[in-house]
This record gives sequence, C-alpha cells and structure tokens, in this order.
Amino acid sequence: MIKHHPKFELIQAFVNGELPASLSAGIAIHADMCPVCQQKIAQFTDQVAEVSFEEQYLDRFIVDSVTADSKTAADSLDDSTEIDFEQMIAGIVKSPAEVSVPKVEKTIEFKGQRYKLPTALNNMALSKTAHIGKLSRTRLQLNEGEIHTSLLRIEPGGGVPEHTHKGFELTVLLAGSFHDESGDYNEGDFIMLDSSHQHHPISTEGCLCYTVANDALHFTQGINKLLNPIGSLIY
Amino acid sequence: MQTNLLSKPTNDKSSHMSDKINHPQLCQWLQSVAQNRDQQAFTHLFKFFAPKILRIARGKFPNEAQANEVVQDTMSNVWRKAHLFNQDKGAVTTWVYTVMRNITFDMLRKIQGNKEDNLSDDIWPIAESMSTESDAFDDHLENKALLSVIDKLPQSQQDVVKGFYLREMSQEQLAKHLNLPLGTVKSRLRLALGKLKVQLGEKYD
Repeated sequence: MIKHHPKFELIQAFVNGELPASLSAGIAIHADMCPVCQQKIAQFTDQVAEVSFEEQYLDRFIVDSVTADSKTAADSLDDSTEIDFEQMIAGIVKSPAEVSVPKVEKTIEFKGQRYKLPTALNNMALSKTAHIGKLSRTRLQLNEGEIHTSLLRIEPGGGVPEHTHKGFELTVLLAGSFHDESGDYNEGDFIMLDSSHQHHPISTEGCLCYTVANDALHFTQGINKLLNPIGSLIY
Repeated sequence: MQTNLLSKPTNDKSSHMSDKINHPQLCQWLQSVAQNRDQQAFTHLFKFFAPKILRIARGKFPNEAQANEVVQDTMSNVWRKAHLFNQDKGAVTTWVYTVMRNITFDMLRKIQGNKEDNLSDDIWPIAESMSTESDAFDDHLENKALLSVIDKLPQSQQDVVKGFYLREMSQEQLAKHLNLPLGTVKSRLRLALGKLKVQLGEKYD
C-alpha cells in the first residue's frame, strides 16, 4: 500500500515538463506503481492540453505579440508563417511512418540480486557501482549539476547513517521496504525530505531505492531557482 | 471524460472552431493519418496545431529557429507516430500535447545540459498512455483467443465482462457506470461466463 505521494504542485510541474529529468523520472516511476497519481496526472494533462490548444489562448497571444500593422493581428500571423508552414508540411509528409520497436525490459544486478529497471531509466547512462558495507550505489549520469541521482541498494539489515539534507532528498522505493523514525515505507512510496528532516533509514529485508539529492552548497542558485515556482514543495 | 467527448457524433461539419475544440474532428483527422497516411487530414491537423505550438514554443525558447524546430519535430512525430494514438486513452489534444512536451523537454535538456539522451519518451510514453487499463489487460488477457471469444458475445455482455475483468470495476461500479440495476449486471456477467466456459472448454476453469 503506497502511502507517500508527490504534492500536486510537483505533479503540475511534471506535466508541464518543467522539472529536471531526475525528478521527472522519480514521479514517472512512482506513477507507474500508483494508480491514484496516474489518474491525477492523466486528468491534469488533459486539462493543460485543452487549455494550450484553445483558440482563446492563441488569440490572447496574437494580441500581445503583434506590433502595429495595417492588417489585423490574425492576418499578420498567418502571412508571416504560412509559407514556412506549407514547406514544412510538404517535407514532413515525405517521411514514412515510424516502425515501433517494443520496449526492452532492462535489469540491474547488485551482488547477485537482480532487479527490473524502471522504464523511465531505460536510456540513462549508469556509472560503476560503489560498495560501502551493506550499501551499493550506482549513479545515473544525468549531468544536472548539483543534482545527484542514484540507485541505492541496501542489503538486509543495512541502513544509512543518520543524516540531514540542507537541500532536498527524494527517495522512491522501487523494491523491498525500509523504516525510519517516522514510520515504514513500502514499494512505490515517494518520499521527499528537506532540511527539517533528520532520519536514519534501516532496511530489515533489504531494498532498492531511486534517490535524487542536491548539493546544499549551491542550493541558493541552480535548483532553488528552478523550484521557486513550486516553493511549497520544500516546506 | 475526454473519451466521452470523442464518442459524440460529429454533427458540425464546419472546420471553423470558434470557441471550443472540435475533438471528434481532430480525432477523425488523426485516425485518417494513421490508417491512410492521409496528407490532407494531416494538413488540417497541422493548421490547427502548428500556430499554437509555435506560440507555446516561443515562450520557452528565445531563439526563433528553436521555436520553429519544436513545431517541425512535433508535427513530424504526429505524422510518423499517428498509429500510436489510441482514442480510448484520451483526446488528440492530450496526445499532441504529450508529443510537444516531450520534444521540448529533450531540446531544453540538450541546450542546458548538453545531453542528447532523449529521455522524454521513457518518462512520458506516447505509445501506451500511463493507464492501469493496459496493465490489467496484459495480465489477464494475453491470450488473444480469449479476447476474440469475448468479442463474439452480445455487446451488453461484453460491456460487463470487459468492465469487470479488464478494468477491474466492481459489480456496483459497473451498474452505476452502465446505468443498469445491479441484478442485471450480475445476471449478464453470469450468462457471459457460462458462454465463455462453453467456448473455451475446461482449461480456463
């Protein structure tokens, strides 16, 4: 039973394509396991699409963007773009239909334990796995500056030493379970923590997590700027 | 909810959509592209979507060439991937939005992170939408023989069987959904199962 879900502000930013790949993938992985969020995403996508492609939406922008001209705003837009568009159509219809390739299921192995890789991670480059005690970690090389994304495997009985984060730390539990001072977490849980959280996760039966964390040192720039519109995410 | 819009009959043949999106018309065009590679239908779709995509892209990319690239790539994918659109999963606007958002995401990532890894279609699949229906479908009915047998049932019984087994709706939900008394749903389900058993024989018991 999934108990922890992304906030709606995060789902909105996800649908709008405004989140970095690391967080987008985290939400996609969660939604794959969570029908409730899946439905929220589907509904919100329908709404955003409807609004994006409504005529009024377009009209509003035409009025804003067209400078003084003897023609009406709408005519001017058509004139300036029509020729390009005709060429574009002619070029596009020459291309053949895409042959769809069925998605290949990928797996990842940690010390003999094999896991199915979530589809969202299928084309992400993986680094070599580092082992520290009962922890194994593989970085996903997303090249997002201070945001670090990993697959973290905790062997049965293992845990992560008590820590806090000056930035944020997202954990999506892919398999197994763990617990900390706040409670138990199960497969599919989407756990977003910030600096106010101090925790010491322990996994009795072992688990695999997808984690995204940022480097606190640079928090006031990069990611913070990105997350400002959804500031309530970090409370 | 979008599927309800789509299933409404197309009475209004006018292609001029003043204040509301003509979803059945868009759907007809896209299906004509998917099935017949219909260039004229594509031109209609292009004229509906391209100016709007251009406006949206201009808000995300200061460079006009990049905004044009979003239009080019999005409409190109609409043409090439039209067969992946499934009207049962949502409206054409939703599908085109997904294609556009994915193109934009990969382009921004290329510009900002200098990564050409094109992750968007893994994060937001455009073929199978993120719906439990398809999962439930695969789990229970990988066997095409079973599906073809269900398709031979009377429509009223098909609705109940598909709702109950493929969409995993309860009998109560189905009664509400189909606007039928609960008893009718139960008896149709029983009748349908009887027929399926006869058709499929013992091994599916």
